[in-house]
Amino acid sequence: MSSGSPPPPSETLAPSGLMGPSLQLERCATGIEGLDNILGGGIPRGNMVLVAGSVGTGKTTLSLEFLVRGAERGERSLFISVTEASAKLIQNLSTFEFFRTELVDQGSLVFVDLPVIYERLGLSNEELNAEEIGILIRTIRDLVRTLGVRRLVLDSLTSVCYRIHKEEQIRDFMLRLGEELKEAGCTSVLVSEIGPNPGRYSLHGVEEAIVDGVILLWNARRMGDILRVVQVVKMRGAAHSRAQYVMELTPIGILMAPHLKGGREGGA
Amino acid sequence: MPPVDIGDRLRSLPGGSAVALKLDPREYADHYFAVLNATLRDVGSETNAHTVYVAVTSPAAFVWTLAQALDVPRERISFVDAISHIMMNYSNPLENATYVDSPRALEEIMLRVEYLLRKFPHPRSIVVIDSVNSLAIHNPPELLSEFFHILLNNLKSRSVLTLVLETSDEEQSGVEQMLNLVVDETIDVARAGR
Repeated sequence: MSSGSPPPPSETLAPSGLMGPSLQLERCATGIEGLDNILGGGIPRGNMVLVAGSVGTGKTTLSLEFLVRGAERGERSLFISVTEASAKLIQNLSTFEFFRTELVDQGSLVFVDLPVIYERLGLSNEELNAEEIGILIRTIRDLVRTLGVRRLVLDSLTSVCYRIHKEEQIRDFMLRLGEELKEAGCTSVLVSEIGPNPGRYSLHGVEEAIVDGVILLWNARRMGDILRVVQVVKMRGAAHSRAQYVMELTPIGILMAPHLKGGREGGA
Repeated sequence: MPPVDIGDRLRSLPGGSAVALKLDPREYADHYFAVLNATLRDVGSETNAHTVYVAVTSPAAFVWTLAQALDVPRERISFVDAISHIMMNYSNPLENATYVDSPRALEEIMLRVEYLLRKFPHPRSIVVIDSVNSLAIHNPPELLSEFFHILLNNLKSRSVLTLVLETSDEEQSGVEQMLNLVVDETIDVARAGR
């Protein structure tokens, strides 16, 4: 088990293209082939990314695959679950062929239930105050540093934000958490639960302004049929596709294909 | 010049070819069986290739029965069935099939084909799409053109032999014209030897 902070994100010179050579951040390949293609190699290392979507769009599955693929590459991965018990998540994961329980047994893939942390830290108030938010951030930071975590998922940010009522405190929470994770070289995914037509990507609308990237998932309808659609709305430090793709959750992992438009705006 | 055997024609094609197989509706049963025989038994058996069969006209269970009659082993064929759900015919799903909700979910069809090609990798895989006419019943032409353009190019780049079944009489339909733009060659089953 390694400990201490991993090296800070390095910068590499991207291959020269038609737009000329450019300084590009080191990428953290998600291991989801379609998504890495969309992102031009992966999420810039140390970025904090919001994965936003309504129910049944595949947010948790995408986040879990991101961690499993990382653990397979030797990057310690941490899943912080707020609403669903870790045991149930691991049970669900076992239906995927890309998952091996040894990753959990060996400590490469770590699951933590946030309610347990709340309880141990004595954070029992319905609304967290500034001091308690600070305690929460330091606890996550210490976990990341102690375990040498390179990939982190918080599922969901929305559930945490239900206990942080003031927008400025949410902004502060996210800014400080983002700084701590970036410093540790940890690439993070924060899951955001939104309605089917929310007009924004998070509970309060401030979250998307702070994160480095937003990956939006939604259910598109075509003549009554439902398709899972994914679109990278923003990703700092990466020249990425902004096109829409259809996502399929298969036993071998998430597969993506272009969302067919058939000449219509917004997809057929 | 004697007609060329369908199996021979398919065998002579370079890797990654996309072929339209034109079936005459008046002799549909004969032509269809000839195509299955050439694809699954002649070419498939010889190269031991895995065939991914996209069933849009008849349910996978029906095609699998025919394949069994041709002694095609289960491990050499898998199905993307896009018709059973809308025909309310899903009570006994096949083990070697994956089911898509409807023929309108074209991206899902693409992704299930991709999934099966990855699950059963083979240097000379075959994909059969049965048929362009059935897909055209459920999808507008612009969407179908986009689907074929993306799917066939993807399969070509991976050296997969793609066969698109098409039922057509003498007059060239819009579907046929669209297909001509994306396939490398058309084999008229009525004119080919069997």
